[in-house]
Amino acid sequence: MMYMLSGRERIAPSSPYDQALVWVTLILLGIGLVMVYSASIALAEADKMTGHQPTYFLVRHSIFLAISLAAAFVVFQVPTRMWQKMAPYLFMMGLAMLVLVLIPGVGRNVNGSQRWLSLFVINLQPSEFMKLFAAIYVADYTIRKAEVMDSIKRGFLPMVGVMVVVGWLLLREPDFGAFSVIVSISMAILWLGGINGRIFGGLIALLPVAVIGLIWSSPYRMQRVIGFMDPWADPYGKGYQLSHALIAFGRGEWLGVGLGASVEKLLYLPEAHTDFLMAVIAEELGFAGVLVVIGLFAWLIIRAFRIGKEAVNNERYFSALLAQGIGVWIGVQSIINIGVNMGVLPTKGLTLPLLSFGGSGILANCIALAILLRIDWENRRLQKGLPA
Amino acid sequence: MIRAARLGSAAKSRVVVKMPTWRRRILLIAVLAGFAVLLGRSVYLQSMHKAFLQQKGDARYSRMITLPAHRGKITDRFGEPLAISTPVESIWASPPDVKAEPEQLVKLATLLKIKPDVITKKLVNNPREFVYIKRRLPPELAAQVMRLHIPGVFTQREYRRYYPAGEVTAHLVGFTGIDDNGQEGFELHSQGWLSGKAGSRRVIKDRQGRIVEDLEAVKVPQDGHDLALSIDRKIQYLAYRELAAAVEEHKAKAGSVVVLDAKTGEVLAMANLPSYNPNNPVNMAGRSRNRAIVDIFEPGSTLKPFTAAAALDSGRYKPETLIETSPGAMRIGSATIRDAHPQGLLTVAQVIQKSSNVGSAKMALSLEPHYLWSIFNQVGFGSPTRIGFPGEASGKLRNYKTWRPIEQATMSYGHGISMTLLQLARAYTVFTNNGTLLPVSLLKLKEPPVGHQVYTPATANHLKDMMETVIQVGGTAPRAQVLGYRVAGKTGTAHKPGVGGYQANHYVSSFVGLAPASNPRLIVAVMIDDPGAGKYYGGTVAAPVFSKVMSGALRMLAIPQDAPNNNVVIPVDDIPEIKEVV
Repeated sequence: MMYMLSGRERIAPSSPYDQALVWVTLILLGIGLVMVYSASIALAEADKMTGHQPTYFLVRHSIFLAISLAAAFVVFQVPTRMWQKMAPYLFMMGLAMLVLVLIPGVGRNVNGSQRWLSLFVINLQPSEFMKLFAAIYVADYTIRKAEVMDSIKRGFLPMVGVMVVVGWLLLREPDFGAFSVIVSISMAILWLGGINGRIFGGLIALLPVAVIGLIWSSPYRMQRVIGFMDPWADPYGKGYQLSHALIAFGRGEWLGVGLGASVEKLLYLPEAHTDFLMAVIAEELGFAGVLVVIGLFAWLIIRAFRIGKEAVNNERYFSALLAQGIGVWIGVQSIINIGVNMGVLPTKGLTLPLLSFGGSGILANCIALAILLRIDWENRRLQKGLPA
Repeated sequence: MIRAARLGSAAKSRVVVKMPTWRRRILLIAVLAGFAVLLGRSVYLQSMHKAFLQQKGDARYSRMITLPAHRGKITDRFGEPLAISTPVESIWASPPDVKAEPEQLVKLATLLKIKPDVITKKLVNNPREFVYIKRRLPPELAAQVMRLHIPGVFTQREYRRYYPAGEVTAHLVGFTGIDDNGQEGFELHSQGWLSGKAGSRRVIKDRQGRIVEDLEAVKVPQDGHDLALSIDRKIQYLAYRELAAAVEEHKAKAGSVVVLDAKTGEVLAMANLPSYNPNNPVNMAGRSRNRAIVDIFEPGSTLKPFTAAAALDSGRYKPETLIETSPGAMRIGSATIRDAHPQGLLTVAQVIQKSSNVGSAKMALSLEPHYLWSIFNQVGFGSPTRIGFPGEASGKLRNYKTWRPIEQATMSYGHGISMTLLQLARAYTVFTNNGTLLPVSLLKLKEPPVGHQVYTPATANHLKDMMETVIQVGGTAPRAQVLGYRVAGKTGTAHKPGVGGYQANHYVSSFVGLAPASNPRLIVAVMIDDPGAGKYYGGTVAAPVFSKVMSGALRMLAIPQDAPNNNVVIPVDDIPEIKEVV
């Protein structure tokens, strides 16, 4: 009763779980399903690999959603402390998968990137799960090393070593996008977990140097950056994809050309149903559609941070770090993806969380949000004096 | 278990884990700032920058499609088609979009009967965005090609001209080029009238070239107009057939026939040889000219009736006035003119019947040069008919001020003066319209045109009577007679001018006549160029063509006979060849 009367508390404790979080997630998944279908019809019809079935991607995306929601339901049953206990093992498993994917014959190569593991009927993308495992691992690491967070040698350098290994594996695929997201998650958790401010400042200063080095070291990343700097300099070559994405935004105006009416998706814009789904949303639904999608993502991030804050209040620090880590993951990945679509960031192979076509991505996102929901559920129980 | 125990101790955790609220706030603000930047960028792209982006988009996928207008028909005077457009398909491709297996290209080449390497050259590594693979195919074949489903290969509807009468009307109708533009004849002359205005459609196409939507209102094509010629298709066929037979029989180089409606000046038929097939215009050298309009020749004796009529109108001669033509030759200056059959005293009528050069020359020399010139000028010699046909020749009638007597004499019987066969046929309208010259027309007229009086009606009728005797016993052209009709006409046989004078063994044989003589309805002019089989007199070579065309045309038009009893006085086969002077 006390909590219900308290105006400051927005998460209605009368409910056993966060209904708003569930709804926002379902709305984003729904928008994704509709837009993936819209963006993929022409592609599916034209492609021999799909047997010219216009619903090819719709059917698969629906199956992924069903699997992901089922997985989320199962994950919701798992207590948070189990994740913390499993953290090192999950992380080792993620590393193992990243190694496996690099072995020729085991990993599958698509468009020059070796990112997929063939498991019978489903292709698994280990880097998607690695994002989740990294968030769990770093949260646990931060708690374990809480006492030495001020020390470079004992608190910071071991994590740097881990990141170098992960980065090396990911860049072998190559998957620069996933690496960026994992580094962002890790740094955010370390920051929240009280890492020494000077160390962090130095890290922030070093980051641009590292990024530029990575770009210089790879001709294909270099090309992407050049294409991003001025897509109109070579609009049929390096700037092809981005120029078409930008045209899609321009055509959409405020309210869009209407659902299904995109021209860019008619085989002009490559990856319209995956990495460049946002461009199709912008063309068909206009700025209104962009605003809704970004608004929902922003709400999701704020919610994750609020859940994190509740966990801190309940002195559940691992949960707090993990909740905010998940929020940073969804936030950073959507910012990078949308930024790439709008030409403010160079092209990467990152999907739009919860929306883009892709089984591993959706599954990993749904599992992460189920963990977030579980953390909130445990918060509510603790506030009611029940055991977590 | 050790770790679980450590975690279970909340008191210990509270001391060690530092989680400052301000750090969380800064991180959240940073993430939200990222979203804010994206929203700002979105506003920029979708409102401020949209014109530029949309223009870039249009450049990539909006295309202007021309909608071809249907080209008008060309018909004869009864609406029978002489030129019609039938739909055909052209196959074109956008080479950068073509994705084809080698065997697909081979199939394509086989269907289109093109060498595979020619196709490969056109489609592989060709940066151009539009190439024709093959144009103007039958729609069924184009459908077969499209069933190969090669991306980047498309069809385009076009129209192909079809000429049902083929070579018979080739010179009049002409033909169109590959882009449906007229190249010859009325197809060229009436291009604007026939072609209409192509419409256009601005559309968005997907990457495979399929039309997605219209960007602006469709500009509907305006179809071309039909054009009705004055030609009567049946008479045209007849004239062509008879001309072809005569050219073949006499091994002539060329020939022309013009049939005029004597009362309106409309051209009912105009045939030329050699001809060509306008449905497949190849090897056209020397075959494409509408000789009756664009080529000039010296008409020879067919001009004598105009000299005689001028003499009658001058008042110095009457039809029965006697002229001494003996001894069949006449010296003028250093030159001598001759008759082939020396005669004695001849009336004006007999000069025409026997085609005496001396008689004609004497009449001409008795007239003022200016007077004779003005008569020739008024019957249209030396000036184009303005019939509206590309490349019409105007002929040559030199200014009277430069005439020497010998020139005045020879001009009287058609030498030293040149004209087209159409001009000559037109001049004969003075004898079918009481001395009035009618303009001629290749287009169907709604009402008869106004003529120009050249001779008095009496003179014109006298000459018509005289020309009737040409066909009768003692005349130069009994072979021109037509069963059941009275016919009037005049033969002509002229040496062809060559380098440095006239050529001894090259002639132009002609005959111009009208029927029925009692009330003329048709004028038929025949010209055979350089008959090479031995016979060359107008009465022998050209007159029989006249007879066949005239008799056929009179019957086709159901014109009442004016000599229903058998008027053929000599069985045609037994006619002695009557020479005329050249």
